[in-house]
Amino acid sequence: MAQFNLYQEESQPTPWQRTWQEFRASHIAFTGFIVLGLFFFISVFGPLVAPYDPLQQNIDALLVPPSWEANGTISHLFGTDALGRDVFSRILAGCQVTFGSAILLVLIAMLIGVSIGTVAGMTSGVRSSVINHTLDALMAIPTLLIAIIIVAILGTGLVNSMWAITLALIPQFIHHTRSFVRTEMKKEYVLASKLDGANPQQLFFHSILPNMIEMLVVQGSLALSIAVIDISALGFLNLGAQPPLPELGVILADGLDVAYIAPWNVALPGLTIFLMVLAINVVGDGLRSALRKRLTH
Amino acid sequence: MQILIRYSTLFVLTLLVLAALSFALAYLFPGDVLVNLTGITPHNEIQREALIRQYQLDEPYLFQFLYYVQQLLQGNWGYSFISGLPLRDEIAVAMPATIELSTYALLTALFLGVPIGCYAGLKSYTKTDYTINSLSMVSYSFPVFWIALVFILIFSLELGIAPLSGRVSLLFDVPNVSGFVLIDILLADNIDSGLAFVDALHHLILPTASIALISTASMIRITRRSVIDVLKSPYIAAAESRGLSKRKIFFQHILRNALLPILPLMAIQITTLITNAMIVETLFSWPGIGNWLIQAIYQRDYPALRVGMLAVATVVISFTILIDLFNRLIDPSREKYERGAI
Amino acid sequence: MQTGLRWLWGLAGMMLLQGCDKAEREAFYQSGIIYCSESNPVNFNPQTDTSSTTADATAHQLYNRLLNFDPDTGQVIPSLASSWKVSDDGLVYTFQLEKNVAFHETAYFTPSRPFNADDVIFSIDRWRNDSNPYHPVSGGRYPYFESLGIADNIFEVRRINGYRVEIILKREDSSFLANLATDFSVILSAEYADYLLSRGTPERIDHYPIGTGPFKFVSYRKDHFIRFDKHENYWHGAEGNSEHLIYDITPKSSIRLAKLITGECDAIAFPAQTELDIIVNREELTLSEKPGLNVGFWAFNTNRPPFNDPSVRRALALAIDKNTLLEAVYFESATRAKTLLPAASWAFQSDAEDTGYNPVLARKLLDEAGIEPGFTMTIWAMPVERAYNPNAVKMAELIQRYLSAVDIQVDIVTYDWTTFRRHLREGLHDSVLIGWSADNGDPDNFYRPLLSCGAIPSGTNRARWCNREYDQLIDEALQTQDLVRRKAIYAEVNRLLYNELPLVPIAHAYRYQAYRNNLKGMTINPYGGVRFAGVTKSL
Repeated sequence: MAQFNLYQEESQPTPWQRTWQEFRASHIAFTGFIVLGLFFFISVFGPLVAPYDPLQQNIDALLVPPSWEANGTISHLFGTDALGRDVFSRILAGCQVTFGSAILLVLIAMLIGVSIGTVAGMTSGVRSSVINHTLDALMAIPTLLIAIIIVAILGTGLVNSMWAITLALIPQFIHHTRSFVRTEMKKEYVLASKLDGANPQQLFFHSILPNMIEMLVVQGSLALSIAVIDISALGFLNLGAQPPLPELGVILADGLDVAYIAPWNVALPGLTIFLMVLAINVVGDGLRSALRKRLTH
Repeated sequence: MQILIRYSTLFVLTLLVLAALSFALAYLFPGDVLVNLTGITPHNEIQREALIRQYQLDEPYLFQFLYYVQQLLQGNWGYSFISGLPLRDEIAVAMPATIELSTYALLTALFLGVPIGCYAGLKSYTKTDYTINSLSMVSYSFPVFWIALVFILIFSLELGIAPLSGRVSLLFDVPNVSGFVLIDILLADNIDSGLAFVDALHHLILPTASIALISTASMIRITRRSVIDVLKSPYIAAAESRGLSKRKIFFQHILRNALLPILPLMAIQITTLITNAMIVETLFSWPGIGNWLIQAIYQRDYPALRVGMLAVATVVISFTILIDLFNRLIDPSREKYERGAI
Repeated sequence: MQTGLRWLWGLAGMMLLQGCDKAEREAFYQSGIIYCSESNPVNFNPQTDTSSTTADATAHQLYNRLLNFDPDTGQVIPSLASSWKVSDDGLVYTFQLEKNVAFHETAYFTPSRPFNADDVIFSIDRWRNDSNPYHPVSGGRYPYFESLGIADNIFEVRRINGYRVEIILKREDSSFLANLATDFSVILSAEYADYLLSRGTPERIDHYPIGTGPFKFVSYRKDHFIRFDKHENYWHGAEGNSEHLIYDITPKSSIRLAKLITGECDAIAFPAQTELDIIVNREELTLSEKPGLNVGFWAFNTNRPPFNDPSVRRALALAIDKNTLLEAVYFESATRAKTLLPAASWAFQSDAEDTGYNPVLARKLLDEAGIEPGFTMTIWAMPVERAYNPNAVKMAELIQRYLSAVDIQVDIVTYDWTTFRRHLREGLHDSVLIGWSADNGDPDNFYRPLLSCGAIPSGTNRARWCNREYDQLIDEALQTQDLVRRKAIYAEVNRLLYNELPLVPIAHAYRYQAYRNNLKGMTINPYGGVRFAGVTKSL
């Protein structure tokens, strides 16, 4: 059955498809996307691929250099550490711990931040103004400080450091959600829904949320890069994950003791964190400019 | 005027919230509330009773808190549990060191980041812009603790260009007057100031560079974005069509309008900057507040953590609010608290 | 005006980074020695603390003792006591003191008289006499003297005249003179103590110290530095001593080595075993080594079930392979410990029994003792490097691995050093990896502080193990001067320890010192802490 078609084109891309097209057009962003996908793959399947148990000590193979050095062996691709543990397996496991917990905590922070931000954005008056101002001010407190306080109360550990970072990320989501909801609430399509008799829940889930997802993806990518750096920084400072848990910052701190005789123990985990953060930032940046292009066209 | 009043109320309110948090910490931290609050371990029951009465710990929480705030304002911040020294003195030494380091890093970031960012913005979507943009993205992604280690490895150990620890060689006994080492050296009577100044500059290189690398990158990105946005605005097209010279357009129209929106973004930078400074301090044995707080947590020095948290948060928030206020004063048309992405 | 000039100076300096006179600059950098130490001293009085960090920072820099050890022979030699006499019954010791020994003159105190008998009496009374007003100051604990029971054994300290002192003991003690020569038996100033007491600030005595040693205290900042200046009126002569001495407190061994390489430190404490090769290979650095009088061990808290059961302790000891620990942690720079005593001690027993590696037997013993698979215990690993255990955390991780093979879960606990020891003293641990560096070669210096009942409250008995038979045996060994007889008694003690295993001895390590070649006069003294008298810096 022939249908009447208003448009000339065969198909009309959805906004998401258009963003994706813009995104793919940038080679750098797309490369970053693939690297990020790789990290994602590693953090899900890494331990299955890993040649050794990351905690397996091997007293006969202490500080074996990486395979590309003169006296390295192929059986330990990235060499071994001071306890004879395979650095490659440790880094794979480290990606899982660091990246996995970062994603998890960003999701939690997003969920909480969006809920509070929406309430704050949809209500107005003195109450929300006081909350907003205090929140804005408290947003400036450094994560490291929050982490130190939480560690002092609850003790060290990966989970405690995750709480600290989540707590530090929430205000950012609240802030953006709130101002986003504020501006959307003033728009006509929301007014139209309101006139149709939509209650606040329907208003949020059917009108505002679908429009907010792009903002959330962009903010999420920013938060993710902060989360990865913070988790590994806390691990590095011995305030987060504790050895022998293979978290990248912890592996780096461990390697510091043998930095002179086995520099790969410092270089490789550091490089991994750097690549992970770079990939996240490249993707985030690519997404933002793709969005910007779509909106200006 | 009204703005000033609004901001002062906000400032005082936030400080009260912080003070309440810090007071609550004395109860939340493990161990004895009295010790957490005062830092004094009573030797016997009589002394304990006396201290409890003095700090009004037998009264309702509200009175305890009021007394606590009163003590804070009077400068009685309690004692370190480990060293037994008054915390106010310790913080008075450590805090300026962090502020000093952050200031130099921030200045470096401003003096490098803004011009480079402007340049990239003006040349937007050319090869130069593309290179600058990519490089800034790379250096923005460095974990600060790792890049500091790499710097130590290259510049201290391999090349021997810069020392890796402290603010000045310990052979110089620099008396602590202002807390800012460069100023203190110039004020000092007992040492060879010229020699010490050069030595202190050498010590500044690596820690400043580690922090500034990341801050400069974000400064470049912010400035570039802002310049590009301004370039698109109609008044630039108008100025061009009037035949103004490129120089004139840049200095009269672009620069001012591009720099205004950067200011509120700097407020978020302060937090990142101080966090990075605090991490870098531990690697370069810089005697600042970050190093001090991390030692305090290793040593479980709860009174120190309680006050240290309050002090750092107060400094950061004061700066943030000040920048916001300044921004509102010079540009009242702006939305308050505007923040953006880098 | 002057400030303005200095500003100009600074600017000039900035413009010509190398603008200063080269000779002047070099002269300045030679004027002081920077020593990178590993941790904060508890205070500046080694009487109150047995940690070698405190002793290193104070004992031979700020103070002198009545007696010293000869670094080569280990014999007791004169110091502040120019000569001494022991009565025939071995109970009365008479010391003739040096004259014209000046105390430090500092910004906070100016002495009016030189050292005399009153200072000796005060210094000993501080730790011995409960009624001395200074006894309770700084916590009132004197762990070294308490753990060895010396304080209880002194009947009286008497002034004969201004430069002669008599000490009367209750029981004969063949190690008494050696104890007076250790790092802990320092001589404080009685005049300073009286001055502080009159001002109502007695606690300052341990934080703003006054002594007779080659250096005087200037300032201290926790976690950063300790600053000393030359004591111009040092009684041995101050010419050979450096103008300034600075301890740069640097907890991480890798950073200490980095600073040694860049020249920011002239000497470092405890180079890590993994880094020794690097020091040897760099021509501007020197590494010197000596067998140390120390033992690294794994002690069980015998007050906590199930570690009060000797067969559980035996099982745990059997579950670990000491040779592997030696290889991985000490990198062959240590010998396997069978007993508490290293081979350098005259009482060393070469045929002592030792626990082997037998995980099967270990699991069997655990089953018999009713320890279920999956049982969880803590191993406390000390946060600082020591010669006797250069990396306790790594050792703990290795042991964690071994114990998981016999189905025991291990949580590794570590704190900052000061906190760590405070919690240890409170007995919060299940087991701990720690050790002991002896202060003199006498075997009693190992056996008594480490495992006697009297050493539990003073905190050096990490196993918190108290055994009457053991205490009787080591007391008996002190009642005789006959070395063969003493050796036989210590062999019996070793057998008792092998059966009871309150701790597992692991290693006796070498002692290392690393410094830049331009430091002249550095020596390792096997007896006690580092010393900088007579050390100078050249180009």
